[in-house]
Amino acid sequence: MTARRTVLIIDDDGDYRASTRSLLEREGYTVVEADSGRKGLEAARSKSPDLIVLDIMMESPVEGYSVVQALKFHGEYDDVREIPVVMVSSIQQDPADLFGMAGDVAMITPEAYFTKPLEINSFLQCVRRMLPQDD
Amino acid sequence: MIAPQPDGPIIVIDDDEAMRRACQAALRRAGYEVETYADGESGLKRMAEVGAGLLVVDLKMPGMGGMEVINRIKKINPDIVAIVITGFATVSTAVEAMKAGAYDFIPKPFTAEELRVIIARGMERRRLAQEAKKLRQEKEAQARKFITFVSHQLKAPLGAVKQYLDVLCHDAMDSIPDQYQPWMQRSCAKINSMLEVIDDWLTISKVEGGHLATQRVPVRWQDLIESVKETCATMARDGEVRVTAELPADLPPVIGDATALRMALSNLVVNAVKYNHPGGEVRITAGTDAETVAVSVADTGGGVAAEDVDHIFEEFYRSKDERHVSKGGTGMGLPICKRIVEELGGRIALDNRPGEGATFTVELPRAEREPAS
Repeated sequence: MTARRTVLIIDDDGDYRASTRSLLEREGYTVVEADSGRKGLEAARSKSPDLIVLDIMMESPVEGYSVVQALKFHGEYDDVREIPVVMVSSIQQDPADLFGMAGDVAMITPEAYFTKPLEINSFLQCVRRMLPQDD
Repeated sequence: MIAPQPDGPIIVIDDDEAMRRACQAALRRAGYEVETYADGESGLKRMAEVGAGLLVVDLKMPGMGGMEVINRIKKINPDIVAIVITGFATVSTAVEAMKAGAYDFIPKPFTAEELRVIIARGMERRRLAQEAKKLRQEKEAQARKFITFVSHQLKAPLGAVKQYLDVLCHDAMDSIPDQYQPWMQRSCAKINSMLEVIDDWLTISKVEGGHLATQRVPVRWQDLIESVKETCATMARDGEVRVTAELPADLPPVIGDATALRMALSNLVVNAVKYNHPGGEVRITAGTDAETVAVSVADTGGGVAAEDVDHIFEEFYRSKDERHVSKGGTGMGLPICKRIVEELGGRIALDNRPGEGATFTVELPRAEREPAS
């Protein structure tokens, strides 16, 4: 029996964190939360999550991008570079547009993208695919 | 000294050279910028270039008459103030001209002073109309800004509430007493439709700003249709409606914006599924001619009610048709389609078959080349 998988939710909206947390805990994941990009980056190192669910618009309208950029490119996050990231945003936008924009700042594409509120079944399917639970 | 007028020069069109000279002299002396033309064609050409604010035109001219000049310029410049010169001062000619859109008339012969008085009134009229238009535009812009602001303010908390409810329905329905379970589902449904309205408001305010169909690149309908069929699959299965697409293998691409066109097509297909009946069908077909590609979405629903046909493309219009009221909707889907298609230089048309179904056809210019892959 291995340790339970941990998901880090980075979102400045407490309501979204609470409902997403409940959803993931019921699936058997351990959940940790951060309410800003900065705290999210700290938690990525201190809590060593297996997956990050990351909101795009927080302190800045593109805060989520700054977080991914730091995770993937800054030397101090070497240990957590490989953690997959699921991006979420309440703006309905074609991900291709978003990632086109991200491309301008040498960003890499996150592993998945969802609009908020989450479509529960497809979100859970995606999480299960990325984090198979040991039984 | 003649200062340039912000609205461009006054255009005088008269086949009589003496009359042109007299008008020009009288109006220049009054401080106006004036250009004169001997026939309708050259006057129209000039007005199309400079966007003139005021036109003085002789009714009776060889070739194109004054009325035709007015009709044609009003099509491209509806705000122009037109004053007609009538050779025989019968009231009926003047009334005819004013019915057809002229602002005033001046009977021949007239003095320089009479001309100046009428022109001054015309200019004042022009100024007031411009001011009114500016005020109206400012008001509309304000309204749009307000809608956008309110929508953003509502969207975040509603989205959070929806996610709470969805999680409750997904994970905790068993612990909710049976009699309250339908209330949960109804709450989800109501919030869903509110969020749809908000998204449509945000979309239409973007379209108003002209930001929605921003690209002009070759787009393949085949790809859009596949993707829309996929997103509508669940809804179609639940409604027991079959969605099929039959496209010519060599359907050429169109010039457009893939994101905007996908939204337009999705609105049409969603409607066709929604206003259908179990066992019904939605057929997507396409055809092409030398310049355009037409894509049609045909359903086997009841068709559009007669009293709705003229209004379905109007913003915020909601049918009173019983069959539709029960299905919800925002009243914005078709106006959004129409705007997207028209922004891209295309047309959307309805072929209504009461009792049998409706077919919406979108026609767009063909692209010269294939999209970059």
